Amino acid sequence: MNVRAGGLVFTYEDFRLDIPDLTLAAGCLTSIVGPNGAGKSTFLKCAAGVLAVPRGTLFVAGRDLAGLRGRDRARLVGYVPQEPAFTFNYAVLDFVLTGRAAFIPAFSSPSSHDLKLAEESLHYVGLDGFADRTLLDLSSGERRLALIARALAQESDILLLDEPTSFLDPRHEVETLALCRRLADERAKTIIVTLHNLEMAVKYSDAMVFMKGGRVLASGPPAEVLSEALLRTVYDMDMKIVECAGHIFFVK
Amino acid sequence: MTGSGAKTLRWLLPAALVLPVVLLLASLNLGVYHIPLGEVWRTLAGVFSPGGTASGTPAADILFRIRLPRLLLAMFGGAALAVSGASLQAIFKNPLVFEFSLGINFGSAFGAALSLVFLGRALPPQLSAFAFGVLAVGLVLFIAGKSISQIVPVLLAGIIVSALFQALLSLVEFVANPYALQALIFWLLGSLAQATWADLRVTLPVVGFGVAALYGFRWRLNVLSLGDEEARALGVNVKWERILVIAVATLIVAAVTAVAGVISWVGLIVPHLVRMAAGADNRKVVPLSAGFGASLLIVADDVARGVASFEIPIGILTSVVGLPFFILLLRKSRRIWQ
Repeated sequence: MNVRAGGLVFTYEDFRLDIPDLTLAAGCLTSIVGPNGAGKSTFLKCAAGVLAVPRGTLFVAGRDLAGLRGRDRARLVGYVPQEPAFTFNYAVLDFVLTGRAAFIPAFSSPSSHDLKLAEESLHYVGLDGFADRTLLDLSSGERRLALIARALAQESDILLLDEPTSFLDPRHEVETLALCRRLADERAKTIIVTLHNLEMAVKYSDAMVFMKGGRVLASGPPAEVLSEALLRTVYDMDMKIVECAGHIFFVK
Repeated sequence: MTGSGAKTLRWLLPAALVLPVVLLLASLNLGVYHIPLGEVWRTLAGVFSPGGTASGTPAADILFRIRLPRLLLAMFGGAALAVSGASLQAIFKNPLVFEFSLGINFGSAFGAALSLVFLGRALPPQLSAFAFGVLAVGLVLFIAGKSISQIVPVLLAGIIVSALFQALLSLVEFVANPYALQALIFWLLGSLAQATWADLRVTLPVVGFGVAALYGFRWRLNVLSLGDEEARALGVNVKWERILVIAVATLIVAAVTAVAGVISWVGLIVPHLVRMAAGADNRKVVPLSAGFGASLLIVADDVARGVASFEIPIGILTSVVGLPFFILLLRKSRRIWQ
């Protein structure tokens, strides 16, 4: 299932997101990069249904996002926010279960099927044995995995992850992106992440989208779109692209 | 509060449901007029056996006209206040919100007082209590505006609205005649003494319905408690479901306040205690709050009429006992809401 923006305009105070035409391919891992305030998170929130968009501007799997009911949309698109505030200290399993909200009527509780899916999701992200721990017992990296597990329990084919690697140490950063990669490869999920680390973006993504000031400056497979000129335009600074031992590095 | 959460529940939940019933039956013999437990049982058995009647002996009169109504009110009132507190805390994603901090308490109290002073018994006071309870929350939401999911703006708005309705309440007291005033003040401090079957005929079904509805909604509270953005991304219609919970929570608090006056802190203390014992999952928090809220108010009422030669208003009791207790809890386990 792909995500397509056509004439998407979203304004908030003096910020304006303006994407005339952008398609994020199904079954691929796409990273959206760009400086702070480029509109990366805003775009994700629009696609996640957190921010309301006008009709006929944003489509998931060919369906108009603005015309979908909340629970129908949530079955198509899952959203992993940046580290949220955990006001109530839920057990990890109970937290992951909330990912099933789109399948459970309001005056009802999760079934054994929902429970099974939640446990499988925890297993998939590598949090076996964490079900009864509470959110505040987890490390930052483990909490991030719990958030991803919740999105998996949602069973949506599209997953949007807002800076899934922020505040993580290098090892957890790699593990989290490897998990995203596996979801695209093994489960054919459409993964869209916003990232700041360009090396990681190049290494793990099928496609990259460069954003600045609410606009898309370039998009496509990393090998095709990357250039020092593009980086200068996007980040307003000179960067050198260095290839070494099959890896691409950015020297600032 | 890790793996033990599920294990403690096994005895905690049945205990929470049986405890209020046991306490209610055990409290029937307490009071100025001592009725031995044996006579309580005989009288109860007499009424519920075929052909039995409730009247005749003084014991039967006291039991059915005075003690049973007030104990039922304590039971349903405690459950209502605690469950509404737990639900409101979840949907506002704010552990410090309860009927008092949202202005529902004094809004309802003003509504009921207005109705009692100016309309007498022409209309059930619960009606006006609910109307003004809703008005109070509505004002809080309006003042808080877009900051509705932030802790401090909602509390500030609640303080403003509570102050407004307290002032209006004083105005009603000011114009009320001295005879009505005395009853009004005693009722406002929180008292179950004036419970009559006429009042309960309205309050008990309303509370029963409201608590049952919030019990049905208990898992959804987990989802809503994650905050606007997350709940919406998970497919929930946040706005309408929040309005639904606020309406039901206000309804049951108003139904209790109209009869029992302002009984504070139960809605804050009980859900917090329950979360500390059994974890944050509202599937447990809601039923446990109902059971322990009911038990707490029955015990508080026993104390209110048992310790002194005069009756202590129960609202004063819950505040005096509840506040230091809550401060202690706050210090002991800050991590619940960090």
